[in-house]
Amino acid sequence: MPAAAPSPLLQGLIDKGLFERLPPTFSTFFFERIRDWALLFPAEQSYFERLFGMFDRSEPELVDQLFAPLRAVEARMGVNPRTWPTRQFTLANVDFLNRSPHYAEWRGVIGDIFSRIDPLLDQELVQFARPRLAIVTAPAELPTGPDRMWTRLAAKGRRVPLRLDAGEDLLGSLLTGGAGGSSLLELCAARDGAGQAWLIEAGQRRAAGAGRYTHLSYEALQPYRIRLMDEVRNMVQREDIRGPRQLGERLRAMSMPGGHADGVVADFVRTTLLNGNGTLLINNTFVEWASIQAVRRARPTVLVSSFGVRNKVKPFSSLLIYADQEKVTPVPTQTDTLGSYVDLEIFYQYLWQEFEKYVEYRGNTVYLFAGEGMDEMLVLGPAEFSLRTPAAPRDVHAALKGWLKL
Amino acid sequence: MFQWTKRQFVRLAGLAIAGRIAPRLLPGAPVDAGRKVIIVTFGGGVRYSETFSPEGLRNIPALASLRPKGFFYSNCANAGVLSHFNSSASILTGNWQRVDDFGFERPAGATIFEQFRKQRRLPSTQAWAICTNKSFSLMNHGAARDLGEPYGANLVLPKQLLIEAVDEVVKQRAAPGGVADRDAVLRQLEGVLNEGYEGIGWTIFKGSRDLDNTVRATLTRSLVEYINGPELPSSGDELTFFVTREVMREFGPRLLFVNFWDMDVAHWGSYSLYLQAVARTDRLVGMLWEEIETNPRYKGRTTLLVLPELGRDGDVNTANGFLNHRSGDASCRNMWLLALGAGVARGESDQPVRHIDVASTAAGILGFHNPEAAGKPLSRILL
Repeated sequence: MPAAAPSPLLQGLIDKGLFERLPPTFSTFFFERIRDWALLFPAEQSYFERLFGMFDRSEPELVDQLFAPLRAVEARMGVNPRTWPTRQFTLANVDFLNRSPHYAEWRGVIGDIFSRIDPLLDQELVQFARPRLAIVTAPAELPTGPDRMWTRLAAKGRRVPLRLDAGEDLLGSLLTGGAGGSSLLELCAARDGAGQAWLIEAGQRRAAGAGRYTHLSYEALQPYRIRLMDEVRNMVQREDIRGPRQLGERLRAMSMPGGHADGVVADFVRTTLLNGNGTLLINNTFVEWASIQAVRRARPTVLVSSFGVRNKVKPFSSLLIYADQEKVTPVPTQTDTLGSYVDLEIFYQYLWQEFEKYVEYRGNTVYLFAGEGMDEMLVLGPAEFSLRTPAAPRDVHAALKGWLKL
Repeated sequence: MFQWTKRQFVRLAGLAIAGRIAPRLLPGAPVDAGRKVIIVTFGGGVRYSETFSPEGLRNIPALASLRPKGFFYSNCANAGVLSHFNSSASILTGNWQRVDDFGFERPAGATIFEQFRKQRRLPSTQAWAICTNKSFSLMNHGAARDLGEPYGANLVLPKQLLIEAVDEVVKQRAAPGGVADRDAVLRQLEGVLNEGYEGIGWTIFKGSRDLDNTVRATLTRSLVEYINGPELPSSGDELTFFVTREVMREFGPRLLFVNFWDMDVAHWGSYSLYLQAVARTDRLVGMLWEEIETNPRYKGRTTLLVLPELGRDGDVNTANGFLNHRSGDASCRNMWLLALGAGVARGESDQPVRHIDVASTAAGILGFHNPEAAGKPLSRILL
């Protein structure tokens, strides 16, 4: 999808020279981000408009005062038009910052700036606060009982006993109430838009209503993942790409739409798979990183993250990152249930932390951590969300529906 | 009556006054006495929380058992750039390096390999770097004009060799078992050695044709051990260990840098694979210490310095925790250093030390000067 101009509001601010008034390391980064305006989620667009709108409305002296420490650090770093071309933020810029002896100082100053800006921007959102929901599920194959689950978060919530029927599809029941009705995802999407209800899963749930909400499945993305790996491998061999920096630049420029009908989500999938953090290779890494990115960028009302069991790493896999592991070795694929359990215990924490970074979620989000086949789940959230225990999944569904006012 | 010749008198006088005109402890003054130094980066990026923290000790049984036998610096800081190449080059030069993160530039200044070989007039067999990280091809010497390649270390990148071989097996579909076929991979590895290894990621100084043949035979032995080892070979660090051990047995170098790197699998986002790599590296360091203790060329004269080149992001308030190592938080920078062996007193200290102190410490042990280094020798080790 071709890049589109930013919104009229932001374009107006650019035209009147707002970005030139800000320190280059700050403005260039954001200038690059808004270049692909059409590929941003509404929450991101709103953030950029509010951020730069605030600078525009503020007294120039206050803005100068806010950025004075950053300008001082930039001077010490040697930032100037020669070392730091404006309006283009590349990996060379990242390199410049990382290699500077003043990098730690620069990070500290940037952190201070946002600690002053964010509360002001957050205040604008508080009035729009609404109940939200995060459901995180583990697969049935994990070799442990609920007493050993969610250990890093258990002290922050309460364990709720569940009354499960034999063989009951727990996630399905939580989402639909088990009666074949519309799922919470569908209802939320119908009210708030498809971008506000996400299901990100390792497997491929045959859920009714898929297509009406945002649905990413690692398993369903397999053909796209294979094409992507082939493309990258061919690129590396054909173009004699020297190293990770060159590969990163090339990947950013690579156009390979697909993986989802929605253009913004398709680009989200592409960048999630190409970010180099194992999302191409490991199903649960994809679920975790895609969920974190969804929270960070789209701020959904409902997010369901459904983990699976990852496969054992085959011999020499680490040497062939962009190769189809099923093709390059006939060693049978084996699952790693214990490894998956260890991986997920830390991912639960990272996911919860990511939600809690944003004002949209703090204090008004119910988190359910559940495991297929487990007769207990962990609930974190506001005290006003209550459940009678032991709870049947359909009762939990009803409570969640009420919580979300669906 | 006994009479001295003038020459004898002058010689004796010279000896007598030498102690007065020369400082007793010159910086980098020859401690030597056949001493050897092995520097190991416990590497790829590992956090305190998975190693020497109370909850991390279960991942490193070998290091935990070695700790009381050596000197443990619990506060060793990396204040430089948090990339593998820059962090490791800082250890080897004694100066914080700010060159290309991915190894496309040589370390600025001189490495200890060059200083050691030039000042002690040692052949190339006396300094080796064996690195799992395949981007370390320029780590064998720095960019200093008056030193450089003639005084650099022999460099072996075992994982790069492995990649070439595995890639060939895949391309040629050389074996019915694909890359899982040990014999096929070994044949390819040996084929790569025989065809010429200059182009695939290592530099072996050719003092003579004999050395060249010896090197090839040495590396082939380590490949055979690796491929036929008790575990399915899949780890670059295991191959690095086997190559290191063969180099120690064949050449007995006095300065050796061993770079382990498997832990960087953490970038894949699997905490369990990362923990497995930590445990594996711990086991390999334990095996390396056993080799030092049983190899007569090393026993009793070798100082082993083990430290992570960098940490990883903390679990709280970072982009994605253990997956990355760029936040610059304490979890990335605050490391430890364990010194073992010759000249090392037993004990522990929380006195702050730095990665750049390692180079000056090695220089002090091996008896050469490292004049451009900003780092200081670790006094508790230089006994």
